[in-house]
Order: sequence, then C-alpha cells, then structure tokens
Amino acid sequence: MRRIVSTLAGAALAGAAFMSSALAQEKGTIYYMVPTLLDEFQTESVNAIESFLAQVGYETVTLNADNKTDVQQSQMNDTILLDPEAIVIAPVDFNALTPSIERAREAGVPVMIFDRQITSTKVDFTSVAGTVEIGHIAAREIQRLLEEKNGSVSGKVLQVLGDPGDPYTLDIQQGFEERMADHADVEIISLPAMQWEASNAGSIVADQLLANPDIDLIFVHAAHLAVAAVASLEAAGKKPGDLLLVSSNGAPVGLDLIRQGWEQVEVEQPLYAQAAAIAMFADKVVNGEEIAPGTYDVLGLESELTIEEWGPNLKIPGAAITSENVDEPRFWGNLTPPSDPIKPVE
Amino acid sequence: MTPARRATIEFLLDNLVWLMLIVVLIVFSLAVPRFFQFGIFANIVEQSTFVGVMAIGLAIVIISGNLDLSVESTAALSAMVTGLLFATQGIGLGLTLEPSWLMLPVSLLLAMIVGAIIGFINGFFVVRVGMAAFIVTLASFIWVRGLVVAVSGGRSAQSLAPSIRIIGTADILGIPLLAWISIGFFVLFSVLMAKTPFGRYVTLVGGNREATYRAGIDSDRILWASFIIAGLLAGVAGWLLAIRTSGATANLGAGMLFNAFAAVVIGGISLKGGIGKLPGVYAGVLLLYSIHTAINLMGLPAHYTQMILGGLVLAAVLLDTLKLRLRERLL
Repeated sequence: MRRIVSTLAGAALAGAAFMSSALAQEKGTIYYMVPTLLDEFQTESVNAIESFLAQVGYETVTLNADNKTDVQQSQMNDTILLDPEAIVIAPVDFNALTPSIERAREAGVPVMIFDRQITSTKVDFTSVAGTVEIGHIAAREIQRLLEEKNGSVSGKVLQVLGDPGDPYTLDIQQGFEERMADHADVEIISLPAMQWEASNAGSIVADQLLANPDIDLIFVHAAHLAVAAVASLEAAGKKPGDLLLVSSNGAPVGLDLIRQGWEQVEVEQPLYAQAAAIAMFADKVVNGEEIAPGTYDVLGLESELTIEEWGPNLKIPGAAITSENVDEPRFWGNLTPPSDPIKPVE
Repeated sequence: MTPARRATIEFLLDNLVWLMLIVVLIVFSLAVPRFFQFGIFANIVEQSTFVGVMAIGLAIVIISGNLDLSVESTAALSAMVTGLLFATQGIGLGLTLEPSWLMLPVSLLLAMIVGAIIGFINGFFVVRVGMAAFIVTLASFIWVRGLVVAVSGGRSAQSLAPSIRIIGTADILGIPLLAWISIGFFVLFSVLMAKTPFGRYVTLVGGNREATYRAGIDSDRILWASFIIAGLLAGVAGWLLAIRTSGATANLGAGMLFNAFAAVVIGGISLKGGIGKLPGVYAGVLLLYSIHTAINLMGLPAHYTQMILGGLVLAAVLLDTLKLRLRERLL
C-alpha cells in the first residue's frame, strides 16, 4: 500500500511538473544547489523544488555537490556565469559558501537559502525550519517521554549524531542540549555516526546497550540512522517499546518505524512547506521587490517572516510526528505532495 | 643463534599484530570502564565482520600485486540490490519466495553475482586492457557508488524479510552469527591462500610476475581471479551489511574502504605485493574495531578515532619496516 502511495505521489509530482512545463519556460531558469543525493530529505527536496518552481513559471536545474564544499563553490561560480534568474542553495557548509554567495549577488544573481541557514552574509530570502529549533522540539518531546516513563524528567539518553563535520547535526545537538540543560537528572551520552553511515549508528547502539544497559531513550539525528539503531535493538533481543526512540527529519523510514511501534517521535522538517515557500517568494526575489515581514500561510502552516541582518527569513514550524498523527498527508514522509497549486505571494 | 630461538623470533615477528591486539585489549580492559565483558568482545567481532570480509578480498588483490579501491562501493551496490529486492519498506520491492528460507541463499547469490561482475569488469580492464589497477578501481569506486544512487534515487530500502534478518539476530554460544560468519570466511580463505596452488600462485605473481610467467603459471588468470574474488567478497560484505542494518541506504558502507586498507596494512600485507597472510589481516580488523569500540565507550569525539587510526596505520608500516630489518639481521 505504501509503495502504491509513494508511486502515486511521485506520479503526482511528475504530473504537476509536466502540466506546468509550458509555464516553466516563461520566467527563466533557477538553479538549485542540493548538498547531496545520499539522503531522502534532499532527494525529495529536488522533486518538490523543481515541481513547485515549475508551477510558478520557472525551470529548475539541480546540481548535486556530493557533500563537498569545494564542489558546491565551483558550481556556484559556474552558475553565476550562466546568468540565471536566481540560485537556491542548501549549503554543504553553512559559512564556507559566503564568498560565492557574495559574488553571485554582486553579479546581480539573487540567492535564496533552503533548509540550511546562512547568517554570515546577506541573502535575498531564507526558507528554513531551523535546525536548532528541531533540537528544541526533540528536547520537548524527550522530556515528555521521560516524564511519562519515569515520573519525572530523568534518566539516561543516548544521542547519536550524524557526521561530526556536518553543522546540521551540530545545530540539532546544540538546540537539544540547551533545552535539556535545566534537567540535571538526565544524563546524555553523545556519539557521532561518522559520515552519517547507518552501520556506524548501529554499532554505537550495540556497544552502548552493553556499557549502559539502563539507557531509557535513544535520540538519533536522522531517520535512516534510526533504522540501524532498531536493527541493533532487535539483535539485542529488544521488542518495540522496550527502549524509547526519537529521530529527526521525518523521512518515510522514520514514519514506518513509528507505525511498527519502535519509534515514539519523529521531529519533522517541513520539507514541502520549505520548498513551497521558495516558489511562493521566487517572483519577489527575482524582481527585486520588497518582501514584507509578517505571518504567511505556507501549505497550512503559519510561518513567521522576519527581516534579519542577513535578509528576509521565513521560519516554518517543524512538527512532532507520533503514532497519533503519523498518517497525516501534510508530513513529507508520507510522500503526498500538496494538491493545491502553489501561488506566488502578491 | 639456536634453531629454537630463531623459531621463536620468527613466530613473534610473524604474529606481531596479534600481540599488539592482545596488548591493546588488556590495556582497554584495564583502562576503559565496562570494556571488559563478554558482550563487548562479541560486539567487536560482530562489528568487524563487514570490513573483515571486504578486507580478505582486498588483501588477496594486494598480495597479487594490485589494488582494488572499488570494494566499498561494490559492497554498497550489493547491499542496495538486496534491500531493493527483499526489503518491504521504503523503495524495497518486497520480493518473496516460497518456501521463505529460499530468500536467504537467493539474496546471497545475487549479492555475490553483483560483486563478481564488478570484479570481472575491474579484472578485464587491468588484465586484458593493461590499465593501472589504481585508476580502474578508482573509476569503479566512483561509478558504482553513482549506480547505487541512481538505482535507489537516493532513497532507502528498509525492513528485510525475517528469513533473511535471522543472520543478523541469531547467535551461537552467545556469539552473534555474523561474527561466526567472518571467522568462517577468514579460516576458509586463509586455508585457500596457504594450502592451495591458487593461494601460492597469487603470492608468487605478486612477488614476481615475470618469474611466474616464465615458470608457466598463467598470471593473467590468477590476477583476474583475484579481482573477481575481491568483488565477490565485497558483495558478501554488502549483503551482510544490509542484513545488519535491515536494509540499505545510498551511503551505506561509506568510509569502509579506509578501514579495510588500514586493516590490511596493519595486518602485515605489503602494498608492494607478494607478502602477507590473511590471519594477520583479521587481527588488524579486530584491532581497529577494538579501538572503535573503546572510543564509543569512552565517549571521545569521533575525530579521535580518525587520528588514532591514522597513527596506528603509520605505526604498523613503521613496525613492518623494523620487522624486515630485524629479520634480516637476526635470521
């Protein structure tokens, strides 16, 4: 059933892209710099951004940086020479891209930031859920789960980070730990899964189950790592619910783990809304129009746009997915793209 | 020097890496809280399975005087094929066979075929076309990983059928089945390399290809076979990895090539070819994963793992050089 839904979702996105292909030629080309295609969030972001930008009249060309900062810098420099209408970038490294962004803007190419916030230089638009905020939501949910289990916010938490060289995971860690700092009765053991590789996460969980058999909860920074964690739990003879499990990013595999009872909470990055916001504000960015601060409805999510030092910043709230709401189509992990067409902001 | 003393020194030099492993395990047991327990040792053996199986093939190619940089990507491709066909979630097609136990040998066979094909292609370009193994296998490292991303679309396949997952969850005498599998592979291939004509020919070809050619040994066939074996074993490693993680992601196995190389070098295999024994490689793998596990338990930042492993490889090469000099002087 899930495969059918996934296929239909893909077909819907492809169909939407096809329907608007004529329109997509109208306003020119926007380049999307995706950091990697090795994770499901990024892969789906390509589908969503290409489809949504097509709906508002832009053709999208996607370039994959394979998680290499230097490659993304080169792609930026090459793209500037092609004089596109705009560049959308999800930076590999949050700060290393600053000179390239400045060069693009000096050349008259507006730059929009998707998902991974850059605050060290001025950009034309930012659409983020906020990685630090994902850590905050995770902390809130973990406090709730620990309280339900132990009667108070106390216990032992194993935090499995992604690659320690990736600012994305460090931001989540920062957000999580700053909200947990007030709870001295919670011991947090933090270990990184090098290169975001699943078996590394599995090994960490297997070792820690032996070294710290009193772990109450495992918090992993990506759903694909949660799958390996569950495999280790299974190998250790654990059953769903024996240990609490929280993950982030909202990928389809995370939602499946919730349905199977292994995982209690998945903190979602609102991928579709983040991508839709890029399309909604594309005209204003390309035409150099003023973007007004305030509250905007982005695919039903009330999102706050503020004018920051680095430019207009739209923050879209992340969500906690639990067994209660896991099947709601608004979560990107259910791969059901929004059916209503994206409309540019007036 | 008496024959008995000579034999003792030779034994110690040949098994230096095992001595290092024992020393490291004793030090960690004394210094790292909660390291000294049966479960941790079982974990070390289990976690070294994937790199271990991969390192056997890599070692055989290196002993034959070549290199294979593609084993990590080959393992990832085999894992993805296994996940794609037999996983039920994500992009998994959920293929089922009746009776269900058939899925186990069929998935293994497919993974081995995938690996062998990549090995065959590498061997073709190195042996038949005469290209440098470094370039050919570097290209394979890149294009095979690209193929993984292409066939998966960057998505993951999860939840393998229980009849396959049994390999990742079962244990014998308290030791995970995965650990027994890696031990089995090392025993099997150690015997193959030490006791069969093929193993001896691989070593001879790596030591002096010209001489073996003149001796009437078909060195091309031996080299090609070593690439196919390396691919096949990488396929098995990928299959085991998919089982361990109950599926496959596009970046599965990333970074394992470095660990496999480190294990081979620490294990005393000469990168020049013609020298080395597989049991040493196994000790190298166990040594690496003992360090990984100790770092996990100590809660040290992972950067230290990289620094320690890098230092260890350097120390191993240095030790190997000293060993050769010592052998020349004493024996």
